[in-house]
Amino acid sequence: MLNLVGRRALYSVPVILIASFLTFAFVRATFDPTAKLRQSRESASAIRAERVRLGLNKPLVDQYGSWLGRFLRGDWGTSERTHEAVTAQIGRALGNTTQLVVWGVLVAAVIAVGIGVYSALRQYSLLDYTFTGLTFLGLALPPFWFGLIAIEFLAVGPKQWFHLSDPPLFFIGLHSGGGGILDYARHLVLPVMTLTVQIVAGWSRYQRSSMLDVMSSGYIRTARAKGVPRRQVVLRHGLRNALVPLVTVMALDIGALFGGLIITEKIFSVPGMGKLFIDSLLAGDATTLTAWLVVTAAFIVAFNLLADVAYGWLDPRVRVA
Amino acid sequence: MHRWLRRAAGLGLSGCALAAVLIPGPAASGLARRVASGGEIVVGAEQEPDCADWIASCAGSSWGVFTMQEQTMPRVFDVVARGRQWVYTPSLLMAGPPVLSTDGGTQVVRYPLNPRAVWSDGAPITSTDFRYTWDQIAHGTDIFDRTGYDRIASVDDSDPHTAVVTFRTSFAGWRQLFGGVYGIYPSHLLQGRDRDNAMKDGYSWSGGPFKVQAWDKGVDVVLVPNPAYWGPKPKASKITFKFLTDTAAEFQAFQGGEINAAYPAPEPDAVRSIKAGLTDASSLVNADTGNIEGLWMNNAVFPLDSVAVRQAIAYSIDRNAIVRLLFGPLGVSGPSNSLNPPILAPYSDQHAFAGYHLDLAKVRQLMTRDGWQRVGGLWQKNGRTAQLTIVSTAADKRRELTEQVLQAQLRRAGFALTVQNRDANTLFGQILPAGSYQLGLYAGVATDLDPGLCTVFCSSNIPTAANGHSGSNYTRTSIPALDPLLQQVDTDNNDATRVQASKAADRILAAQQVALPIDPLPNIAIWSKRVSGVRGDNPVYGMFWNLSQWQLQ
Repeated sequence: MLNLVGRRALYSVPVILIASFLTFAFVRATFDPTAKLRQSRESASAIRAERVRLGLNKPLVDQYGSWLGRFLRGDWGTSERTHEAVTAQIGRALGNTTQLVVWGVLVAAVIAVGIGVYSALRQYSLLDYTFTGLTFLGLALPPFWFGLIAIEFLAVGPKQWFHLSDPPLFFIGLHSGGGGILDYARHLVLPVMTLTVQIVAGWSRYQRSSMLDVMSSGYIRTARAKGVPRRQVVLRHGLRNALVPLVTVMALDIGALFGGLIITEKIFSVPGMGKLFIDSLLAGDATTLTAWLVVTAAFIVAFNLLADVAYGWLDPRVRVA
Repeated sequence: MHRWLRRAAGLGLSGCALAAVLIPGPAASGLARRVASGGEIVVGAEQEPDCADWIASCAGSSWGVFTMQEQTMPRVFDVVARGRQWVYTPSLLMAGPPVLSTDGGTQVVRYPLNPRAVWSDGAPITSTDFRYTWDQIAHGTDIFDRTGYDRIASVDDSDPHTAVVTFRTSFAGWRQLFGGVYGIYPSHLLQGRDRDNAMKDGYSWSGGPFKVQAWDKGVDVVLVPNPAYWGPKPKASKITFKFLTDTAAEFQAFQGGEINAAYPAPEPDAVRSIKAGLTDASSLVNADTGNIEGLWMNNAVFPLDSVAVRQAIAYSIDRNAIVRLLFGPLGVSGPSNSLNPPILAPYSDQHAFAGYHLDLAKVRQLMTRDGWQRVGGLWQKNGRTAQLTIVSTAADKRRELTEQVLQAQLRRAGFALTVQNRDANTLFGQILPAGSYQLGLYAGVATDLDPGLCTVFCSSNIPTAANGHSGSNYTRTSIPALDPLLQQVDTDNNDATRVQASKAADRILAAQQVALPIDPLPNIAIWSKRVSGVRGDNPVYGMFWNLSQWQLQ
């Protein structure tokens, strides 16, 4: 198993290096870090001096080399937009996004696996049809619309209908100043619900399909014929094997979530990675954008690696191969 | 001073409200009810300032002014309404009005300081703070805008209670200095330190009615009263500006009682929400602002290097229809007719562009006379088609809607229009300075009450390789008769002749059709009926100009 992990980790290094170079080159080609100086009418000599300071007068490969060196040492540069260290910006944003991702994935995984297993075991039952219909609905719901509707019907509406002093669920940020666990939970429900609707819909379809495949295989029939209790057959032999394809999908999705919660974060005013990306993009903040893209690429590679490892853990044949 | 701020509908409302909507309702605001009376007011801020170093290039966000700058930075002049006009009046920082003298051709301004004026640590605000502020802006690096400060020769601080500012060359807009969106900096706290580093993430000192208690990045800014403030004490015990970047969610937050007031940009979502009605709220819409949204033309590139083509484009556009579509539900229906915004009405001909209205016969006449032929619905000349591109700031729904309307209107008149929007930094820092555009859709924002179009229309300010593309005449306007008039507006301390020159310049700009004003970008203010003390807007300081008088009932 360690051999597998080591091998896969080594494969990831060149992938990240190539991704970082492409990212660096594309951002350099798209944005000029000295644009803001021209905007504020700095003199030509000040702009030239800044270009020299940033190394923009050197060949691209040299620029990349020195940027990579600094990046690996933890010096990710200073944001042209805020004059703040990029490490601090990304650290703060990552903390907020991680909270949404962790809770969202936990909730989505439990619900999706539950729905998938139930639908597979009770195929073509009324509840299976209901879940199928709901998952298609979930897939079709755009998060920006669902988020606003959820705010209206679960926060603003109840407050007005029942003349409450506060909305039952909050929808600005992840906490109110000085709030406790209950306050945190009241802030989390709506954004987590918004981000999980589509995820649950997608994952539950994978789980149902995979579970149906597994439950119709020969070893399940053998286990049942040998008198293994149904619960044990479903959980130990069925679910474990049926989780293998879902784990791959989950790992890929989770990696992408770290940079992809733009809509949810915007609607619920969560200062996370998605919001940081949009703010930096719209301001042409090249230094932050470069680091952001490399970090999110690293997350995707890392979760791909995790998927490989989980695959090996769930299916010993992968380890051997 | 004309600036291109990153948020178009930023600074300013004025006293002439066009509409007020008062809709009663049952519910009171949630957070508001939780706080003690006297209280904590929560305001929705739809843009977080990038930094709090107000003179650095990272500043320039109107929400930076609203949330922190105007509440904490002392200034020489306040901007107040007098009748239907906005005027400068000496602030509480001053012991009397500043005195201007131009003896011997040298402009000198003496600022008598109020001996009661102190920083939050009790140190007096002195002439040395003026000297430090000038020095930082005129000689510092990475400064947002040096206009005016670069004309100062010296600041005499030998008398701590009187700052004596001597100008190198005349500067008619001297009232905008040591105030506006900059303010005065505390030399005793910042001298010898890295100012940007000390201020960019917020600062605890203050020379205004409030202090910044905390700036939780991405979440909120909390202001509390400055106990050392020598003027009227703030009534609210705490003001929290919560950052809500989604307009629809901002209105829901207001309806849900999570915020007590908001100052949304005039985006379609905001207009729809206002039109739909707000519960338990007061609102104000005002078109007499410091903003002017315009269609800026690159006068140096084909086919816009022809006056006839520029005029034909102006006659192709139904500006009334655009304004009605964007802001009709708010009661704003007429286009702007000057490149000076409404708050500069005394210095401008507010009807200069009134002659440009939809007239397709005029378009045909102008284009034909200029040698164009209509082939397949589009104008052509010497084998080149009237194919135009327009650039604006990306992800702006209002501007995208405007561009769609412009596409349809211009197509009908024989011009093809392609949209190529970009991020603000690339647009204002690369594309416009390099002149690699034909049409631009963005706002000019006046951050003070002085006219100053030389920055954007004098030929000496055309960005060139020689000046590092750092000039701001992005339209590449070069009209010999215009330059001396605009320079006079910048330097003439005689108000009567200054007004005359400014109005004459407006008429030349219209005749040459260097750009087309579209709308004044109305400002919108909404607040809960439980908040008292809100008194409309201010062209520089928004609805927050008297924040210290706000309180919860």
